[in-house]
Amino acid sequence: MTLYALEVEKLKKVYPNFTLDALSFVVEEGQIAGLIGRNGAGKSTTLKSIMRLISSEGSVKVFGNDFFQDESASKELVGYVGGGFRFYPNKALSVIAKTVAEFYPHWDEEAFGRYCKEYALVLSKKVRELSEGMKIKFSLALALSHGARLLILDEPTSGLDPLSREDFCDTLLSLKERGVAVLFSTHITSDLMRVADKIIYLSDGSLLSDEPLDELIDRYRLKIFTSLSEAKAARAIGVKAVKDGFEGLVTDPFGGRKATLDEIMIHLECAKKERT
Amino acid sequence: MKALIKKELSLCLHPTAFVFLTFAALVFVPNYPYEVIFFFSGLSVFFISLAARENGDLTFTCALPVKKRSVPLARIMVVAIFQIALLVLTALCIIVKQSTFPETLLINLAGNSANLAFCGVGALVLGAFNLTFFPLYFSHPNKVGVPFVISSAVQFVLIGILVAIRHFPFYAPLTSPDPENSGVKIVVLLAGLALYCIMTLLAARLSEKKFEKVDL
Repeated sequence: MTLYALEVEKLKKVYPNFTLDALSFVVEEGQIAGLIGRNGAGKSTTLKSIMRLISSEGSVKVFGNDFFQDESASKELVGYVGGGFRFYPNKALSVIAKTVAEFYPHWDEEAFGRYCKEYALVLSKKVRELSEGMKIKFSLALALSHGARLLILDEPTSGLDPLSREDFCDTLLSLKERGVAVLFSTHITSDLMRVADKIIYLSDGSLLSDEPLDELIDRYRLKIFTSLSEAKAARAIGVKAVKDGFEGLVTDPFGGRKATLDEIMIHLECAKKERT
Repeated sequence: MKALIKKELSLCLHPTAFVFLTFAALVFVPNYPYEVIFFFSGLSVFFISLAARENGDLTFTCALPVKKRSVPLARIMVVAIFQIALLVLTALCIIVKQSTFPETLLINLAGNSANLAFCGVGALVLGAFNLTFFPLYFSHPNKVGVPFVISSAVQFVLIGILVAIRHFPFYAPLTSPDPENSGVKIVVLLAGLALYCIMTLLAARLSEKKFEKVDL
């Protein structure tokens, strides 16, 4: 039986106007999984439900530990970064790090010092003095110094400039080599193209796709049609009007050009909208 | 729990928690409703909770390797440490007052006299605050004002009753200077402390249950 880094089964959260609908997926050890979907699709709700920051139904296992039964031990294995580090803006990084270290029996002070040096973090600085990029790096330094084997990151690259995003992607790839699994949500699909092994695609709280990135990209091609009837005849998916006519996804491996992840998302969402 | 309490002390405390401890010295003011000393303790809890909300403290804490239901208990334990410190300081100020002030100034006409029984009364006011504030706060941690208004109202009603009954003849033994009527005063002190413990424990249990269902 495979031991997954993260095993989510029938995760459900009901709000008055939104339902996260019995979501199930896994992330393997050393795998980088990208969680994508439009605004309000349920990405943050999923990540927060996994971390028990919100109450939800279903089962979550981290390296075989039941998260709900064995909450503290499970959290020890996880490094959670909810966006940038928005906490305690008036506290110095050293105070926060010292406090966090108390919670982890495997806290590695030497590793923390190494990450701080690598990320150019000045521990005497206060959180409010850090840029968005540096806040994320501080979160990562905290998460990595307690030996997290699974990183759960909620839109970690949204406030970062291209160079910082590149650094962030490099960091993820180096963690992957060390066997750390990563689940991160993002709108910036170019980051996923660079680092993700698999894509978990949410739409309106439901799982639309959960498969390796290569398979998802290879399944669809983007084709331009001169008319809507031509698109319909070709059974194009998610057809929408564009400058040069109509555009849709086709599954014919020789039709059109290779679609990007953004284009796949746009047309799959269009197709879903048409169905409803 | 030790790490959680350390976190509360290093990241969450508001300066007013220390400032309002000094208000124990109000017992030296002649003819003053000393019960309000314990209202200020609640005000510092309000400031701590407000700062915690602005700092994203609960979300941060719940992502640490702790059980979600332990988070309210740690906060309440730290508040209880400060409340007990306030009671101890008040008791020390009362001892100093009783041994240095002339007897005419030891009887308070505006409320309970500062004596042994008064510490029991204070414990009761603090316990009532805990029982109303914390379960409401941990049901909706983003709404700090509502629990504070409600718990303050409960405190003031209680203080009003305690100030009013001080003027009834049956209450006279409790307004006398120490060591007069020590027996009944000790009973009031112990009853107040016992009620404080019960109400605070109940507040912790209710808060744990409420907080478990909160979406952060």
